[in-house]
Amino acid sequence: MSAKQPFRRGDGGLIDRASPVSFRFDGRSYQGYAGDTLAAALLANGVRLVGRSFKYHRPRGILSAGPEEPNALVELRSGARREPNTRATVAELYDGLEAQSQNRWPSLDFDILSINSLLAPALTAGFYYKTFMWPAAFWEKLYEPLIRRAAGLGRAAMEEDPDHYEKAFAFCDVLVIGGGPAGISAALAAGRSGARVILCDEDFRPGGRLLADKREIDARAGSEWVADALAELASLPDVRIMTRTTVLGVYDHGIYGAVERVSDHLPLPPVHQPRQRAWRITAKRAVLAAGAIERPVVFAGNDTPGVMLGGAVRTYLNRYAVLPGREAVVFTTGDDGWATARDLTAAGANVAAIVDPRPQVDAALVALGKAIGARVFAGSAVSRASGGKALKQVTIRDASGRETSLACDLLAVSNGWNPTLHLTSHQNTRPVWDEAIQAFVPGTMPAGLSAAGSAAGHFGLAEALVDGARLGSEAAADCGFAAKPLAATAKTDPDAVSISPVWRVKGGKGKAFVDFQNDVTDADVELAAREGFRPVEHLKRYTTLGMATDQGKTSNISGLAIMAEQTGKTIPETGTTIFRPPYTPVAIGALAGHHRGPDFRPMRLAPTHQWSKDLGAVFVETGLWLRGQYYPKPGEDHWLTTVNREVLAVRNGVGICDVSTLGKIDIQGNDAAEFLERVYINGWKALPVGKARYGLMLREDGFVMDDGTTSRLAETHFLMTTTTANAAKVMQHLEYCHQVLWPTLDVRMVSVSEQWAQVAVAGPKAREVLRGVVDAQHDLSNEACPYLAARNITVGGGIPARLFRISFSGELAYELAVPADHGDAMMRALMAAGAPYGITPYGTEALGVMRIEKGHVAGNELNGQTTARDLGLGRMMSAKKDFIGRVMAGREALIETERPALVGFKPVEIGQRLRAGAHFIGLGKPAAMEHDEGYMTSVAYSPVLKHWIGLGLLKNGPKRIGERVRAVDPVRNGDIVLEICNPVFVDPEGARLHG
Amino acid sequence: MADAATIAWTPRGSWAGILASGEFGTAGQPGVTIEARDGLGIASLIAGDGRDEALAQALQGHIGLGLPLTPCIVSSARHSLVWAGPDQWHLIAPDRNGFDELLRDLAPLAAISDQSDGRAALRLSGPKVRDTLAKGCMLDLHPSAFPVGTAALTSIAYMGVHLWRIADDPASGDAVFEIMVARSMAGSFWSWLSASAAEFGCKVTATGRG
Repeated sequence: MSAKQPFRRGDGGLIDRASPVSFRFDGRSYQGYAGDTLAAALLANGVRLVGRSFKYHRPRGILSAGPEEPNALVELRSGARREPNTRATVAELYDGLEAQSQNRWPSLDFDILSINSLLAPALTAGFYYKTFMWPAAFWEKLYEPLIRRAAGLGRAAMEEDPDHYEKAFAFCDVLVIGGGPAGISAALAAGRSGARVILCDEDFRPGGRLLADKREIDARAGSEWVADALAELASLPDVRIMTRTTVLGVYDHGIYGAVERVSDHLPLPPVHQPRQRAWRITAKRAVLAAGAIERPVVFAGNDTPGVMLGGAVRTYLNRYAVLPGREAVVFTTGDDGWATARDLTAAGANVAAIVDPRPQVDAALVALGKAIGARVFAGSAVSRASGGKALKQVTIRDASGRETSLACDLLAVSNGWNPTLHLTSHQNTRPVWDEAIQAFVPGTMPAGLSAAGSAAGHFGLAEALVDGARLGSEAAADCGFAAKPLAATAKTDPDAVSISPVWRVKGGKGKAFVDFQNDVTDADVELAAREGFRPVEHLKRYTTLGMATDQGKTSNISGLAIMAEQTGKTIPETGTTIFRPPYTPVAIGALAGHHRGPDFRPMRLAPTHQWSKDLGAVFVETGLWLRGQYYPKPGEDHWLTTVNREVLAVRNGVGICDVSTLGKIDIQGNDAAEFLERVYINGWKALPVGKARYGLMLREDGFVMDDGTTSRLAETHFLMTTTTANAAKVMQHLEYCHQVLWPTLDVRMVSVSEQWAQVAVAGPKAREVLRGVVDAQHDLSNEACPYLAARNITVGGGIPARLFRISFSGELAYELAVPADHGDAMMRALMAAGAPYGITPYGTEALGVMRIEKGHVAGNELNGQTTARDLGLGRMMSAKKDFIGRVMAGREALIETERPALVGFKPVEIGQRLRAGAHFIGLGKPAAMEHDEGYMTSVAYSPVLKHWIGLGLLKNGPKRIGERVRAVDPVRNGDIVLEICNPVFVDPEGARLHG
Repeated sequence: MADAATIAWTPRGSWAGILASGEFGTAGQPGVTIEARDGLGIASLIAGDGRDEALAQALQGHIGLGLPLTPCIVSSARHSLVWAGPDQWHLIAPDRNGFDELLRDLAPLAAISDQSDGRAALRLSGPKVRDTLAKGCMLDLHPSAFPVGTAALTSIAYMGVHLWRIADDPASGDAVFEIMVARSMAGSFWSWLSASAAEFGCKVTATGRG
């Protein structure tokens, strides 16, 4: 049975053998243990073939045991939770896990597109630039879809992600990135000094290589040291250990981005738990202790399943108690690989041979090889691995060229390590080459960040512990925490760090891969060199080397080295690759957090919202606000039916419409009138207390910024209203004007938009309705409360309120404002008081129709491209004072007489519908740009006039009243003849307004 | 026939229809306790030119509180003054009793605008209050960085908020925060807060009026 796990060792490992876990891969059931990764559990079950490669569909296995994995990418989960390109080497096993291999059809074992390997000559570097160029029309219809299907990675889920994601913010003195020996030492040193410490480890179990290697610290097993250290860290009150948390990016001012995989290790996120949480961590200092990534060697067949990094072999053996193979060959260019041979033997595998290209190998190592019964090939290299879907044989070539073939099912490759320094270059600084360790090490560091241990190129365990303790103390000291004297340096067993890397072994038969994930071979790098794509950035883009989701973690250096060899340069002369965030792939959901769907951005609701909802309003988003658009009655099956009814109700009786969303700015101070005088184009000083006035303000460049009515509530107290859309912008503008332009003016302003619920009560019966809610002592007669009156009154028996006799509809109209808590009651009270008059709620659509009928400008006309003159408001510009925009409004182009200006339009053929956006073209002229005379800004069906009407900006418009012009609408194939008319369609004398 | 006399002017607070009392989220001892603070008297005070000193003295005389000149809140048994920007403060009272009169007395010394109905206020407490706020608040709320009495104008979930810390809960010793958002955004704010607090278990003790 599969439960046997044939490659699981009998004992040992940091797995929970008491917790067996069932999972499925490509539909087959297997068992593993809690504490496994998917990769470990697959290997325990003897599953070597895990995926197919990107371009050639070559069989691929498991190369690594960490985040750098380029081969073992799977689709995890199913349905709406399907996640493509998940690295099996970091996917934590859970009961019921389901994974699918990628890039294969019909099955992993038999993949039709593996014939791509035979097409390889056509698929080399830059192939799509060359091959699919002609005919051009084929690209979109044929080539691209074909390539996309063939060269895909996994499939994303097509349904909405059912899980919740969060963002969160954290702060600390010292952030430690990485929970290996260096990171733990750093956290301990900083934590003991009293600093606030966050330790992030991307693994679910901190310890780093101490979990994977048999190391000793102070004569105890490394894993015991880890356990003790973690216990101490947990006891410190201001130390936080965040596991399953990957620090992805370094940003300005000590800000680090991280993603915590809160629930990825569970079948489903527990109720109320997010799947992932994106952290923004602000740290005064940070220690990068991210370790190192082992390097493969480029040789023929180096992608055969069963070829694995030596450090990963030890991880599987020691941490997961899994034998990645029984008959092993070790290929190592340094001392480190010999430990792999030792551990393999100890785990019961047979090590057939140890291949070390160095002509002279330390005698102790040779003795070790002999002792474990392995053939030692010094001065030799593995030139080929073969076996197709599973490694069967390796070819070893010695210095003289003599080849030996050995049968094996595992090849452990060790070629030195590259410091995991990605984060150090996120601020655009470059790593530097360290000749001694033949690797790039961190160069100039981002401010506040230091690197410890392997991440700094200090590969020894003893160095890591010392580095961590020192940098942790220093970081804490920088934050003002006195360092505790360092404990005596821990004693460790000897380190094996000597290395002389071999970047590739030439001459083997078959493809030799540099970038496994993007299927870039050594031949591709050579081709790029031959074709002149030699700078590292060109190499990358031409071959796609390092551009896969693994971002070249195992391939960049080999690619550089081969290019260096081709061009006769050194590796540092050839270039470095810098890294950008994120360090590893991030789910978009984690970045969105809570903010998707209706929570994409805040939604603002008026204090009358519930009332509108109760009436069945259809809402419309205007900026962040949700406003009642129209209020359909049963049986009204078209919005226009409803809107027509609402308009006629106002024109013939009375209607109410929420206008709480308009911006309201309280302006106080001895210079308040002077201030308004300067921001508005018209005059304010003479406005009496208790009066409102329409105002228009310009931007500095002379174009219209916003309009609204402003009322004088007291000698030194004004209330300005703005359009809904510009409320914040106007507030900002006023603050700017006061703080920067005229700081000496005695004026104070604050937004009171949220404080007041405001309603327009419009129609011939408006006064009667108001009489029903306004307290009796307030005289509402035309004499006492004339057009443009602004009054402090009370309603409902003493509730303070403000009443403005202003009108957007052209009817007798008021705006009544009450403190927002009373907004809902105000609407209900008005409805009750207006019932005898057939009071009708109306929305923004009817509001819009009526303002077009009255020729009032709104957002469509206040579009940032119009001047006061364009809008027919030029005469409002006072000649007796200065105001913002005055000078620039006088620019030649802005006062040109031909400039399109506001006029009204109606169809000559009365039944025709007008369309906003249509352009005006003279009769008999071709519809071309050179005959363009302006465009229609707003249209509406006027239920009063019973035809469509429009407002628009037309060249010389006001002088052409009565003429005809065409409205051409190429988008909707419209071309109709219009009559140019006065923009005020209804009651041009304004008799209703003053009623 | 309806007339003014028959119409009930029932006030509807900013949390009406949004907050429901009871517990939600993970079961067990609630990690966060939320109380709506409705019916407050809130006014913005902006000192007039050269009148800061006079305003400070008047406030000292009327409510026994000085003007905080840094982002913090000072409180007496009844009133609080919270910094709301350079030369700006919010005067907060637990109810409207005598509030209008107080504002009238201060009016000559400052630009005063009643904001009582324009803000939706909550009091948050419980052992997980900081962990909850950390999901949206971009400020460090650790006791060493945000001691009792600290106030801040910041944003949470893209909404402007006014946040401050009052005295710790005497019973549990847990930190207590008060937060004010624009009334119109109360629903969106609650959507964020309830989602963020659910993990820790959340108890709503007072839901406000209406």
